[in-house]
Amino acid sequence: MPKTIVQEFTKGLWQELPPFRLVLGLCPVLGVTTSMENGLGMGIATTFVLVGSNLLISMLRSVIPQKVRIACFIIIIAAFVTIVELLMQAYTYPLYLKLGVFIPLIVVNCIVLGRAEAFAYKNKISSSMADGLGIGIGFTMSLGALGAVRELLGHGSVTVWGDFSYNLLSAFPSFQPFSFMVQAPGAFICLGLMLCLINAIGD
Amino acid sequence: MHSTLKLTVSHAPFWHNGSSISSKSRNILLASLLAVVPGCFQYGMAAVGVVAMSIASAILWELLINFISRRPISVGDGNAALIGMIFAMMLPATTPWWAVVTGTFFAVVIGKEIFGGIGANPFNPAVLAMTIVMLSWADLFDFNSALLNYQFDFNAVFPLVLSKAFGAHAVEPFALTDLLFGKQIGGIGSTYGIGLILGGVYLMFRGYIRWEISVSFLAGIFAAALGFNILNPELYAGPGFHLLTGYTLIGAFFLATEDSSSPVNFIPMLIYGVLGGALTVMIRNIGTHIDGVLYAVLIINLVNPLLDKIRPKAIGKGV
Amino acid sequence: MNDMVKMVVVLTVLSSVAGGVLAAVNKGTASQIEAQQLKFVKGPAINAILDGASNDPIKDRIQIADGAVERSFFVGKFDGKANTIAFEEFGKGFGGDIGVMVGVNIDSDKLVGAAVTVHTETPGLGAKAKDDPSLVSQFKGLPVTDSLTVTKDGGQINAISGATITSRAVCVAVTKAMNTYQKMKPQIQEEIQKVGK
Repeated sequence: MPKTIVQEFTKGLWQELPPFRLVLGLCPVLGVTTSMENGLGMGIATTFVLVGSNLLISMLRSVIPQKVRIACFIIIIAAFVTIVELLMQAYTYPLYLKLGVFIPLIVVNCIVLGRAEAFAYKNKISSSMADGLGIGIGFTMSLGALGAVRELLGHGSVTVWGDFSYNLLSAFPSFQPFSFMVQAPGAFICLGLMLCLINAIGD
Repeated sequence: MHSTLKLTVSHAPFWHNGSSISSKSRNILLASLLAVVPGCFQYGMAAVGVVAMSIASAILWELLINFISRRPISVGDGNAALIGMIFAMMLPATTPWWAVVTGTFFAVVIGKEIFGGIGANPFNPAVLAMTIVMLSWADLFDFNSALLNYQFDFNAVFPLVLSKAFGAHAVEPFALTDLLFGKQIGGIGSTYGIGLILGGVYLMFRGYIRWEISVSFLAGIFAAALGFNILNPELYAGPGFHLLTGYTLIGAFFLATEDSSSPVNFIPMLIYGVLGGALTVMIRNIGTHIDGVLYAVLIINLVNPLLDKIRPKAIGKGV
Repeated sequence: MNDMVKMVVVLTVLSSVAGGVLAAVNKGTASQIEAQQLKFVKGPAINAILDGASNDPIKDRIQIADGAVERSFFVGKFDGKANTIAFEEFGKGFGGDIGVMVGVNIDSDKLVGAAVTVHTETPGLGAKAKDDPSLVSQFKGLPVTDSLTVTKDGGQINAISGATITSRAVCVAVTKAMNTYQKMKPQIQEEIQKVGK
C-alpha cells in the first residue's frame, strides 16, 4: 500500500529515525555532538542537502541511466554540500569553524546517499521531498538531543546561539561537570545508552 | 604422534569439589581485606564510608540492571560486591559519594552487564570505571590534594608525582620498607604493600588467581624500571620504588588477574603480564600520566583475545 | 551504444551544471566570506597584535600589489601616528599551511608581535601554536633583519614541545613576513601616509 505524503514525512521522525532506528550516519553523530549547538547546526546542514538532493534526483530519475546512477548522485550531493559549506562560511562563520571537516564529509554520509538510492530514485517528487525533510528533521532532532545530553553532563550547561541557555549548576550547585561525556568515548557510551532507551520505548 | 600422557576418565557420578563463583568472590574479598583494613585504620571512618558506599552501590546497580534486562538476579554470586570492593581500593578516602556511585555504575553496568554479565567483560570493570572517573574529575583523584587534610607521620606526597616532576633523587627519602608497610599516600586499599602481597599469595595458593600473571607483571615492571634506571639513574627511579608505589601491587594481584579479561594458557599469561608491567613503567617514566597501571591493564585486556590465539594444537585437527 | 552515449551525455551535463552553479555560488559569497574571515579569524589576531591602537585596523587597511598578488596591510595608529602594520604570511606546517599574522613597527623596524590565524595542525600538539602564547611571544621586539629558526636547528626560538614542525613553520612564516616587509617598505611608507591623515 503506498504511503501518503504525511506518512512519508512522519516516518523519519520515529520509525526510521536515522541514527537511532536505522543506526546510519554515525560519523557526524559521534563527532560533532559535543554541544547542542553543533548538533543542531550539523543537522540543519544535512537536512538542506537531503531535501535538495532528494528533490533533484527524483526529478531526474527518468534521465539518470541505471549504470552510472551512483556517480550522478554523488555529483548532485557534492554540489549541494559545497553550496552549504560556502553559505555557512558566508553567514555562520563561527559554527563553520567548529564543525570544520564534518561539513564536507556530508557527501559520504550514508543517510544522504541511502535516501537517494533507496527512495528518491524510485519515488515521486512530492514524496521524495517529504521523505528528505522528515529524515532530515529526525536527524537534526537526534543530533540536538545527543548534543544536549552530552553538553549538559559534560559542561553543566547548555547554550544554543546565545538565545537559549540552561545551567545545571543553578539547580544543583554541587554538580561537577562530568567531562568524560564530551570526550570521544563518552560519545559512544552516550549514544549506546540512548539507543538502549529508544529501543526500550519501541514503536 | 602419540602422546605418552595418560588420562584417567571415570564414569559418572562425579563429585562437585565445592568451588563456585560465589566462593571465589568471597575468597578474593577476604584477601583484599588484608589491604583494606589497614587502609581504613590509616584514613579513618571516611575510608570505611567509601568502601561501604562502593560495595553497596555496585550491588544495587547490578540488581537494577537484572530487573531492567529481565535476567535472573545475579547479586548472590558476589561478583558485584567484589567489583565494588576493588574499585574502592583504588579510590582516595575523600572521594565524594556521587563520584563513587557514578564509578560503580560504569563498572557494573557499562563494564560488565552491557557485555553480557559475568565472564563476558572484555575489560576489568573496576579499572574501566576508575579510568573514566579519573579522566572526568582529575582534581578529586589527585592524591596530593585529595588527602591534604590528613596528618601523617610520613611524607604525605604521592611518590610517583615526585619522581615524575623532580627525578629519581627526589624519592630517595622513601625507604622501601616504609613503602611496603603503607607509609605513603594513595588509594584506600592500594598502599599497604605487605597486605596486598599476602592476599595475593593466599589467592595464588588457593588457585583463584594465576601466579603466572602476577609474577610476570611484577617481573615486567622490575625489568623495565631497571632498564630505565640504568639508562639514566638521575631521571628514573629504580625498580624497587616502582614495585611498591602507586597501583603496582594491587594491579599485579587484583586488577590484571581478573578472569574473563586475562589469558588462560601459560605462554600468553607470561606475555600478558610482562607487557602490562613494561607498559606501566613506560607510561610512568615517559608518558604524560602519573600512574600507568590503569592504562597498562586496559591495554593488555585489549590484547588478551590476540594472546589467546597462542594455544596448543587441537588433536586430530589438520594444519 | 545508445546507452553509452546517454551515460556520457548525462554525466557531462550534470557535471557542468554543478560546476556552473558552484562557481556562481562561490562568486556570490566570496566577499561575504572574506568579511567573515576578517571578523572571526584575522580580526582577533590583528587586535591582539595591534592592541591599544586608536583606530580600527581592519577598516584602515591598505592594499599593495606584490608582483601578481595583492596584499592587505592592517594599519594601527599609536599616539596619533600610523606607524605599525600587521599582515599575514604562510608557512608549511604538519597538516597544511599555517597563517601567521605579523606586526611590524615601521619606525624602529622591529616586530611588535605575531599570532597564528589559520592552521590545520594536530589538536593538542601543533594546534597549541594558536592558543599557547609561549611560542609567538618570543617574536616580540626582534629586529626584522634576523633570520629565525628553532633552537633544534641552531636558532633562537624555543619550539613548543612535541610540535617542532609546527614551530618551524611559524618561524618560516615570520621570516618570510620580514623579508616581504623589507622588500615592500617603500610602498608601505608611501601608502601609510594616506591613512595617517
